[in-house]
Amino acid sequence: MAEITEDTVKHVAKIARLDLTESEIKKFTQQLKDILEAFKKLDEVDTTNVKPSFHPQEIKNVLRNDEPKKWKWDSLANTKQKEGKYFKGPRAV
Amino acid sequence: MTKTENILKKAKDIQKKYSCFVTIADKIDTNEKGKLRGIAVSVKDNICTKGMMSTAGSKILEGYIPQFDATVVERVRKEGAMIIGKTTQDEFGFGTFSVNSAFGIPKNPHDIERTCGGSSGGAGCLTVLADFPHIAIAESTGGSISCPAAFTGTVGLTPTYGRVSRWGLIDYANSLDKIGVIGKNVKDVALLFSIISGHDPMDSTSLDVKQEDFTKYLDGKIGGLKIGIPKEYFEKGVDEKIKDLVMKAVKKLEELGAKVEEVSLPNTDYALASYYIIAMSEASTNLAKFCGMRYGLQPELKGNYDESFSNARKEGFGEEAKRRVILGTYARMAGFRDAYYLKALKVRTKVIEDFKNAFKKFDVLIAPTMPVVAPKFDEIAKLEPIEVYMMDILTVAPNLAGIPMISVPCGEVNGMPIGLHIMGDHLQEKKILQVAYAYEKVKK
Amino acid sequence: MKTIMGLEIHVHLSTKSKLFCSCPTDYEKTEPNEITCPICTGMPGSKPKVNKKAIDFGIMVAKALNCKINSEMFFSRKSYFYPDMPKNFQITQYEIPLAVEGRMDITDKTIRIRRIHMEEDPGKLVHVGGDITTAKYVLVDYNRSGIPLIEVVTEPDFNTTKEVREFLAKLTSILEHLEVFDASKEATLRVDANISLEGGERTEIKNITGFVNVEKALNYEIVRQNNLVSMGMKVTRETRHFDAEMNTTSTLRKKEFEEDYGYIFEPDLTNIEISDKWIDDIVKKMPELPDARIKRFIEKYKIPERDAKVIVYVDKALADFFEECVKIYKEPKEIAKWIVTDLLKSLNWNDVRIRESKVKPKTFVELLQLIEEGKITERLAKELIKEYVATGKSPKKIISKKKIKMVSLSELEKVVIEVIGKNKKAVGDYKAGNEKALEFLLGQVLRKIKAAGDPKKIKELIKRLL
Repeated sequence: MAEITEDTVKHVAKIARLDLTESEIKKFTQQLKDILEAFKKLDEVDTTNVKPSFHPQEIKNVLRNDEPKKWKWDSLANTKQKEGKYFKGPRAV
Repeated sequence: MTKTENILKKAKDIQKKYSCFVTIADKIDTNEKGKLRGIAVSVKDNICTKGMMSTAGSKILEGYIPQFDATVVERVRKEGAMIIGKTTQDEFGFGTFSVNSAFGIPKNPHDIERTCGGSSGGAGCLTVLADFPHIAIAESTGGSISCPAAFTGTVGLTPTYGRVSRWGLIDYANSLDKIGVIGKNVKDVALLFSIISGHDPMDSTSLDVKQEDFTKYLDGKIGGLKIGIPKEYFEKGVDEKIKDLVMKAVKKLEELGAKVEEVSLPNTDYALASYYIIAMSEASTNLAKFCGMRYGLQPELKGNYDESFSNARKEGFGEEAKRRVILGTYARMAGFRDAYYLKALKVRTKVIEDFKNAFKKFDVLIAPTMPVVAPKFDEIAKLEPIEVYMMDILTVAPNLAGIPMISVPCGEVNGMPIGLHIMGDHLQEKKILQVAYAYEKVKK
Repeated sequence: MKTIMGLEIHVHLSTKSKLFCSCPTDYEKTEPNEITCPICTGMPGSKPKVNKKAIDFGIMVAKALNCKINSEMFFSRKSYFYPDMPKNFQITQYEIPLAVEGRMDITDKTIRIRRIHMEEDPGKLVHVGGDITTAKYVLVDYNRSGIPLIEVVTEPDFNTTKEVREFLAKLTSILEHLEVFDASKEATLRVDANISLEGGERTEIKNITGFVNVEKALNYEIVRQNNLVSMGMKVTRETRHFDAEMNTTSTLRKKEFEEDYGYIFEPDLTNIEISDKWIDDIVKKMPELPDARIKRFIEKYKIPERDAKVIVYVDKALADFFEECVKIYKEPKEIAKWIVTDLLKSLNWNDVRIRESKVKPKTFVELLQLIEEGKITERLAKELIKEYVATGKSPKKIISKKKIKMVSLSELEKVVIEVIGKNKKAVGDYKAGNEKALEFLLGQVLRKIKAAGDPKKIKELIKRLL
């Protein structure tokens, strides 16, 4: 397992779009190390040929029919940043 | 003052001292007919209520007013319930002590210097204090119903995963979240559970089970029932006095005719890591939608979307939320995904297998709910995150396996309540309610 | 240097409701955000539910592309942040998609299909105050969010842009014939293309709309890469954007970090088993595929393979039109000939597709009947057809309006007999083997009827009556 460094935390924070302060980065780095150390326990379990469980019980084939239905609501009711009937967002690049 | 105005006033008084609400209703409208007429129902704030702010305990959703009810809320409204307000919680469910709330930390009615537990702390708190008929809708991912029930001395039911619809529940971890009930006694809990459970076409993971009246199973008769005592739940880390009280309770059940035997759940030790990795992986994707656009906290748009999103999330998320997003993102990143996320999913299979094997022989399993009594707030402040996570050791495995469980009060240690945890196989709420009810009747 | 190219094609499926919610999919004439719901706008508490019809369509496409359909599939969350993403993750398929290992035959080659999977479309962005790189902010419309997409990923088997063009035309035709894709809508195919020169780095050109642009983008990129290499420089591995107005590709501003999609299984959805029975039911009801249709056209209507291919591949509606015409006028060869030459030319000239044009089988066939009856010449028909396509007016009416005199067969015969009678020397020359004499006789006939006849037909008539 790769060593967790402050750079790791910085990189993950970027991907997760979290602006962390210097002190948060320091703190999280140590905490992540401790937590992942504890989670290393999982390596002890032999999981050869064990299928992953996506849900507690296997649920399959839940589908719906292709019947269009308009949802009655005001999609912009909770929105402060809007223009006409559009949602306003930050520029893309 | 009308009855409803009176109730709301009492709620406000409770709130002043104990901070268990995020929002108290302005007024209550009810159809006054149905199985819940005359009963106040509080709703954990991560469950959407139409027209009433729903924040999941997070600043990033402050001001968000859903335009639809969660299915569970729809169902209780239909039965005449009085929705009195939204109870406070750890942000998004991230926590065991409800201290990670952006809207006030609930105080334990038995000792206001102690936690109510979490993440459904507000629900547990209010249930103790309401001197009017009240049942709480709560939610559990890793133990967030059982823990506050144990710490506040109330009854908390976590149903089988998929038994209660998650439509309208603001997600923590979609394969682990279950909406459940906290009440003063088993009958109340069974009543509300009967109304909120049952198949919902809006939720693809909702099991194909009809609504059922579970109150009719409460007859106190448990003769012949086979009780398993998982030995791993009585090992170090669990307070000796708690173990004693739990075994005393089990003895009482034996006296009622139940058969008791020890059993082993060999993968118990691994459940915590498996749970947290899966939960945080899913949670980190669920929280991605909160970026300052469309609802909730919407700061001034500045810069491009990377900057804008990062800024909104920095302002809106508490520390624990940030930590879990970082951990969860890491656990599913390319290169780490196999070792963490996929491995955890496989270990989950083994944990589930343990329970399934045990339930071939036993009707229910019984253990302590929490390893300690409700800690003091200043003790909590000294804990490292991993130590906080370890508090869940007794509840994560059944939650990971999605089996139903109920915590009932079974005595006090140092003046603080402790909980008896009764666990059953998938869809066996009937059995665990029977045992809980039987115990409740004889426990004095 | 050898060029190596691969494609990722995104197609909007024409289901009536979206992939994970019941919102209608006809977003073309709607106000922004008019057809949305909590699910497709990513409101907290909402949960998706899979549209069965979208999978039906997916199975058809997989079958048409000769793929192996997985017996069980699931959906995954692909995490990335962008203002058009309602959840900042896309529900797509990663580990176990709908289908794998397919192929499509084009001239001279087989293109291998790596996989076919299903996913949801994000919303639509309007860049305000500039373009994608200079805008002040964006406006988002989620009407399109949640529309079902099928993604077809090919192996890097293409070596020329001609192959790419042929593949995409054929793919479009297949999708139209399956009726899973409405080519008349504004959202046509969206293609991401990968291209490298043998031994060099690969560039990706993202979000090219329509296959004409794909060919242009790739042609430009091939030249650009070859230029770099010939100057001794290396091609950098990067993502580029195609500018449809300038016909050039350019670097998308490089991010300081690469997005890590962090795939997890979609926990709000279930696994879906695709049974043999489900597949059989779909196959039984599957519409005729283009290749089968071409074969049938050749066998049943005896039209040349080249014409059959054009009619079927250019536009399914054109092939439908052809069959409608044959019902009315039993000369498929003629109909086919005129469709693939002048009708298509006129449609293109009027910048309209057959389904949007005023051309109807009944009136089109009129034109051909007039030619057969010798009432108008082919040359005249070629002129008339432009006006016909533009106005949709019955050719008979156009002709009468233009006061073009039409000559009936019996009238024509009379004139020919008269001309033969009056020009015994020319007749004698022709019988002796002088072809030019026939032309002379033709000229005489044309003068008499004032040039409203078909020279070929008249020549035949002369020969017959001699």
